[in-house]
Amino acid sequence: MSTPTQISAEKVRQLVISTLPPSAANLAGEVIFGPGGALDSLALVNFLADLEYRLAEEFGREVVLASEQAMSRSRSPFRDVPALTDYVVELLAQ
Amino acid sequence: MSAPRVLLVTGTSRGIGLGLARHYLAKGDLVCGCSRAPAALQDDGYTHFELDVSDESAVVAMVRAVVHRHGRIDVLLNNAGIASMNHALLSTAATARAIFSTNFHGTFLFCREVAKTMVRHKAGRIVNFATVATPLRLEGESLYAASKAAVESFTQVLARELGPTGVTVNAVGPTPVPTDLIKSVPKAKMDALLARQAIQRFGAIEDVINVIDFFLSPQSGFITGQVVYLGGVNG
Repeated sequence: MSTPTQISAEKVRQLVISTLPPSAANLAGEVIFGPGGALDSLALVNFLADLEYRLAEEFGREVVLASEQAMSRSRSPFRDVPALTDYVVELLAQ
Repeated sequence: MSAPRVLLVTGTSRGIGLGLARHYLAKGDLVCGCSRAPAALQDDGYTHFELDVSDESAVVAMVRAVVHRHGRIDVLLNNAGIASMNHALLSTAATARAIFSTNFHGTFLFCREVAKTMVRHKAGRIVNFATVATPLRLEGESLYAASKAAVESFTQVLARELGPTGVTVNAVGPTPVPTDLIKSVPKAKMDALLARQAIQRFGAIEDVINVIDFFLSPQSGFITGQVVYLGGVNG
């Protein structure tokens, strides 16, 4: 289990990619959710729920991804893998 | 022999919640309960969490702890609730916030967190608690009835949002049941309320359990987004 100071963005990115459903698993730099995105809202719900549990297993941290922080941003942190990776790293560092 | 069901029941320190916990433990289910007070029952199948249902981080931690321990949650019974009987013009903003925090925000938080794990397992039953005070438009219960109206709407929309996932979301609307929740209501008020029901008596915990058991039945997978009132009250 990693401590916050040991969190690697690459490790988070790999976790994000490996949690994506098979139909969207090759989306490393593409849109996940939003206009032209690979996931509809229900698929996004499933994906984020899976990701929360995997983050808890991997990093021992209970995070809520659909938080006030996420929803109040002008650019969604769920739009693509790089944005989501940055957001998760930020959450885990808090 | 199949594995016991895992139930999460809110508000298990007394009243209907305590009765529900005892009922499902007697049936061999595993029950994880919560309340602001310490556990009111001791049973090998029961785990208690002391928390305020409107405390987001506490709710998240409880749900994740239950899933970590049991691997899944089969049933969520969102029973925790508070009431305040007063004329709207004599009610305080603090009372309004407290009632909505427990009755609506608590229900929302548990639905959100438990549904995440139910969706992953493509199965689950959620039962929320409504009240006949909403369809009866009971004078003196504006805040309570409004908070439960919010629960009803949330139940019906969530049922649609989770429709494709195998998770059902319904609500039971009890009549007054003789518990602490209504102990301060004057008898004349209570008699007037009962007179508006088709069947004019207090409800019993068994009446509530009967509706919940219907929602939880394996044959009820096609029943979702419904609010069932007791006592012959119509929505």
